[in-house]
Amino acid sequence: MTEADACATEDLLSRAVGGESAAFTALVRKHQRLVYSLALRMLSDRHKAEDLAQDVFLQLHRSAASIESAAHLLFWLRRVTINRAIDRLRREPRYEDVSLEEGLLLVSDACDEDPLLQRRLRELVGRLPAAHRAVVLLRYQEDLDPAEIARTLSMSINTVKSHLKRSLAILREQVGNTAAMGPDGTASRLEHAPTKHGSVT
Amino acid sequence: MRAFVRRLTFACILLPAMLAAALAAAPDVRVKMPNFGSLAEKASDSVNITLDSALLSIAAGFLDSSKPEDAAAKELIAGLKGIYVKSYTFDKDYAYPSADVDMLKKQLSAPLWQRLVGVRSRKEQANVDIYMAIDQGSANGLVIIASEPRQFTIVNIVGSIDLQKLHRLEGKFGIPRLQLEEKK
Amino acid sequence: MSNNLDDQLRSALRAVDPGDEFAARVMARIANESMRPRRSMPAGYQWLSAALVAAVVFGALIAHDRQVRREQQGLEARRQLIEALRVTGEKLDLAYRVVNDEAHAATRENPGA
Repeated sequence: MTEADACATEDLLSRAVGGESAAFTALVRKHQRLVYSLALRMLSDRHKAEDLAQDVFLQLHRSAASIESAAHLLFWLRRVTINRAIDRLRREPRYEDVSLEEGLLLVSDACDEDPLLQRRLRELVGRLPAAHRAVVLLRYQEDLDPAEIARTLSMSINTVKSHLKRSLAILREQVGNTAAMGPDGTASRLEHAPTKHGSVT
Repeated sequence: MRAFVRRLTFACILLPAMLAAALAAAPDVRVKMPNFGSLAEKASDSVNITLDSALLSIAAGFLDSSKPEDAAAKELIAGLKGIYVKSYTFDKDYAYPSADVDMLKKQLSAPLWQRLVGVRSRKEQANVDIYMAIDQGSANGLVIIASEPRQFTIVNIVGSIDLQKLHRLEGKFGIPRLQLEEKK
Repeated sequence: MSNNLDDQLRSALRAVDPGDEFAARVMARIANESMRPRRSMPAGYQWLSAALVAAVVFGALIAHDRQVRREQQGLEARRQLIEALRVTGEKLDLAYRVVNDEAHAATRENPGA
């Protein structure tokens, strides 16, 4: 997030707190991808994700005055979305698999990648335990480092690293077992490479 | 060891015995009131008051010390353990059951009880007997038996009584002027 | 196509947009919520809260009832005490009058005594 972007967000925030609904609408538009995507990957259901994302923004509308900065807003949105999703998963029976409609929709977003492998990965991420899933999403969707993930989820950094390591091992094993096929018909070979924040140990 | 056994014997046997003796020595000045069922049936108005020490302390809590009459009443009941009153008023002259009154009077015997007043008025056709329980030189019980042609009353006050304090209440709460000073 | 798992995950978990109308739906819900009483607690907590409120109200009613009864008992005890003192005073006065009358009568009958 650039400084100008942060200033613009904070301006919208203060106007929204002042009761300007157009400013709040702009805040929603600016952050709806983040919130909806986290909810969708956590719940694996578009309707539940839409519902949960709306709930998060409703809560933001009530709590906007307590948000101190653009960075705080991002932290708050990620934390509230993940916590609400985990609460919902505890309350309701787990939606076990990504629906066919969901798979096709998401495949269309990733036209230049291996669509079958990516669909399989989304399915497998959706089957990880909720805490592991949250760690993986914040790492690969939100591109947070382990320290930021630890702060967001109120976990120790060691727990975050351990969850990531375990999750990647499961995903690698599962994808390897099913021998995910690339668009050219060859089996995809997955290797763990160092990330921009360093490798997870 | 023997000293210990002696102390144990004293503690287990002698102390309770001494306590029982002390309790037995404390005079019971609450008289057993007759039922007076037949009187209550025929009375046009009856008063039956039972104020034990618990109720007296509750009543004391509802007396306002800033008011002179309440303060005097509070002072009067401070040493009391109970007030028991039975009073029956009739529309016409009535002959009271003498057996019940005799049973009551039998309880008021010497040396604990002393009859202070026993008067028969020809003019008012009234009989009044006042008994006081004197224990170790102090009055700690009072019984008034008053029979008039149309009213029969028994009052039993338990506890240390100061008639002068009652005198201070005269003219208050509807209590008549006792003119006790004129008796001196 | 990238072959490493990190890249594949980044690509697979790419953020998706809920659609252009999402913000409008959120604003409609906000408008709707502001029209009715706010439900800020989960259902379970609302039951708990309602139960707590009911318990507090019930407790307050019982305490009030006890207080009223205590006051009634106290006032009744005070009334009985005053009535007892009145009757006692009345009978002591009767005794005094009778004693006085009889003494005067005796004096009249035996003026020299």
